[in-house]
Amino acid sequence: MTALLLFQLRRVLRSWEYLFFTVVLPALFTVFFTQVFGGQAGSGAEYQEYARTYMVAMMAYGGLGAALGATVRLSFDRASGWLRQVRVLPISGREVVAADTAVGMVLVLPSLVVVALVGRFVNGVQLGLGTWAALVGALWVGSAVFVALGMLLGLALEQKAAGAAMGIVSVVLAALGGLWIPVEVFPDGFRRVAQAVPSYWYGELGRDVVAGTAPGLAVAVLAGFAVLFAGAALAVGARRPLHAVAG
Amino acid sequence: MTPALDIRGLTVRYGGTTAVHDLDLTIGRGETVALLGTNGAGKSSTVNAALGLFRPAAGTVEVLGRSPLAAVRAGGVGAMLQHGGLPSETRVGEVLRLVAGRYEEPWPVTDLVTTTGIDGLLDRRCEQLSGGQRQRVLLALALAGTPPLLVLDEPTSAMDVEGRQAFWATMRDLAGRGHTVVFATHHLAEADAVADRVVVVDGGRVVADGSSAAIKSRIAGRTVRFSCPDRTGLGDLPGVTAVGGTGDLVELATTDAEATLRALLTARDRLPELEVAGASLEQAFLTLTGGTR
Repeated sequence: MTALLLFQLRRVLRSWEYLFFTVVLPALFTVFFTQVFGGQAGSGAEYQEYARTYMVAMMAYGGLGAALGATVRLSFDRASGWLRQVRVLPISGREVVAADTAVGMVLVLPSLVVVALVGRFVNGVQLGLGTWAALVGALWVGSAVFVALGMLLGLALEQKAAGAAMGIVSVVLAALGGLWIPVEVFPDGFRRVAQAVPSYWYGELGRDVVAGTAPGLAVAVLAGFAVLFAGAALAVGARRPLHAVAG
Repeated sequence: MTPALDIRGLTVRYGGTTAVHDLDLTIGRGETVALLGTNGAGKSSTVNAALGLFRPAAGTVEVLGRSPLAAVRAGGVGAMLQHGGLPSETRVGEVLRLVAGRYEEPWPVTDLVTTTGIDGLLDRRCEQLSGGQRQRVLLALALAGTPPLLVLDEPTSAMDVEGRQAFWATMRDLAGRGHTVVFATHHLAEADAVADRVVVVDGGRVVADGSSAAIKSRIAGRTVRFSCPDRTGLGDLPGVTAVGGTGDLVELATTDAEATLRALLTARDRLPELEVAGASLEQAFLTLTGGTR
């Protein structure tokens, strides 16, 4: 199991596109937007508030992108015939799914940690040590929602469709969930739509932790989405075995 | 000792079409068996059912005395599939080490690399392999656990002539070491060169089963082709086993081309567009099935 996990991890980390979109891009956005908009802040407190909010949003953006990008690769392995090959080796399908899920969870961490470090040391975000730990921990656990969604897309779609879906879904989730532009500036209707997507609640989870308020509602909604996506992924997996040939 | 492969009453259906009809096949340990047939004959369906890749519509399959999946999990079977592949963003050596690590008695890697002829490829990215190199790497994966049974589905389809020869030399060597080798092919020459038993599959049924020499003598006939609008009596000529061809073109499958020609030339003044050629596999099947297809 460990050997398979390391094997899969190494493969994802060889993809520079993956690292660019899930680590470098969110980190650059964090610096750029905080400098551009935060620079217009009237006071130090106002800047701090802005830098903090934007860092949390970018951690959420990076985390969901990393979770989706790592897990959707299951469809690539189906297209190449590797999953079919695995079926005639002593490696069970359950193990493959478990390894990919674990890879998704592990690879969320670099995005979260790098954006947090950039927030702290480039933008000067000030939080207590406990709050930093709670923030990274909460967003890490919360990313399970997007790991489940990525597994669902990877199992249900063919390689090309899955690649496209992953791009579209992460953009839609980021935009509608208020991770790029805060929902406060959304018109009324859009704000209601925002509350229907999991990414909004993922961001809300981070904001709650930073503000020191109990994230009860966010946790409940995210847990609901996680169960929904994981259930759908299991149902798709049961109907269509991993080794089924595409088409 | 339980047979390497025991298939009883296997029936495979895809939607409305039946690919395999009530097929029985028992392969003993240490045999080298070719499943010979044209495309769509039901070879792949039989092989895939033997590996437990899907649940057949009817029939049972036992591999080394267990269910196919259990045999695969226990490292008893190595397989090369038609639609198998290698993972992206990996090097050959990494994949080989991952797979070898799953077996209790892995084939020592340095020897496996030499046996399958993939020396110098271990640091190669899997995406950069040629078709033939890829097949050899897949063979190495199939052999990684020193499996007693090796199942190969058209393994040489992506290889050039040289690659094929090297591949079959490896197979003969493996058979010599006591491995049971079952392979699907549509090349009579491959079946003849490697297998000691040939099972001819056509229309999802076994139409012939025997030693390579016996099958060859039955199907390695000749085809006499000529143009003639009238076919009466042609089937009764000496040596002729089947009458085929379309329109005016007549194709006689014969086990004795000389006798057939002699009789034809005695009876007729002219034989326009006369040709004598080695029988194709399709014509050989026509002979085996008595022209009833």
